[in-house]
Amino acid sequence: MSEGLRFSEEKLQDKIKVILSGEVDIYTSQELKEKLYKIVETYREDLLIDCKDLNYIDSTGLGIFVGALKKAKQYEKKIVISNLKENIKKLFLITGLDKIFVIE
Amino acid sequence: MESVSDRIELLLPFKPEYVSIARLVTSGVCSRIGFDIETIEDIKVAISEVCSKIVNLGSAVADSYKMIFEVSGSGLGVIFSCEDKSIKCIFDGENDGLALHIINALMDSVELCTDNNYILSMSKVLEENS
Repeated sequence: MSEGLRFSEEKLQDKIKVILSGEVDIYTSQELKEKLYKIVETYREDLLIDCKDLNYIDSTGLGIFVGALKKAKQYEKKIVISNLKENIKKLFLITGLDKIFVIE
Repeated sequence: MESVSDRIELLLPFKPEYVSIARLVTSGVCSRIGFDIETIEDIKVAISEVCSKIVNLGSAVADSYKMIFEVSGSGLGVIFSCEDKSIKCIFDGENDGLALHIINALMDSVELCTDNNYILSMSKVLEENS
């Protein structure tokens, strides 16, 4: 029924790349929260979130991105979000989150 | 909106794993009406936000909540209701700014805390170029 959420991470030279695929909703958001927060706190490096294959996200997921950014800023790190699909980019624009994240 | 020609009802358990079903049904109904893909995605997001909120609130007396899709030539109306009448004004008094902001931005009309027996109703007009 739901295509679920797939999550992978990759250590690059100066940042951590996280690849999100599928859907982030009320059912999958807890998994995203746990994994994303753990990465931020474990590596304490800049984070690149690749959303090339992310098809859906709701306000719960956006809130998790904001929470992860707050944690990253504690370590003076940033979060870059890349390859957003148009329907998801629209949510960032509507909510003003395009102004607090670096969107590539 | 002009008079409703068809009504489609969906009864969903208060479980997060079924919110995606609401999105799937929404997609089918909106496609049948003739909305374009971008608008269908918008409606799915708005509906999913409401479902998520209802599921988060839960109910001690009801097992499920109901979505009613009202299809007309001019667009779509969606009504959320539940036997548990304590579920009302679902976006009041909490930090729900993001969800409600998204819903209001994506739908043409949203009615909250009405005097009728609904939890919430909202609608989207079918534009001529949709």
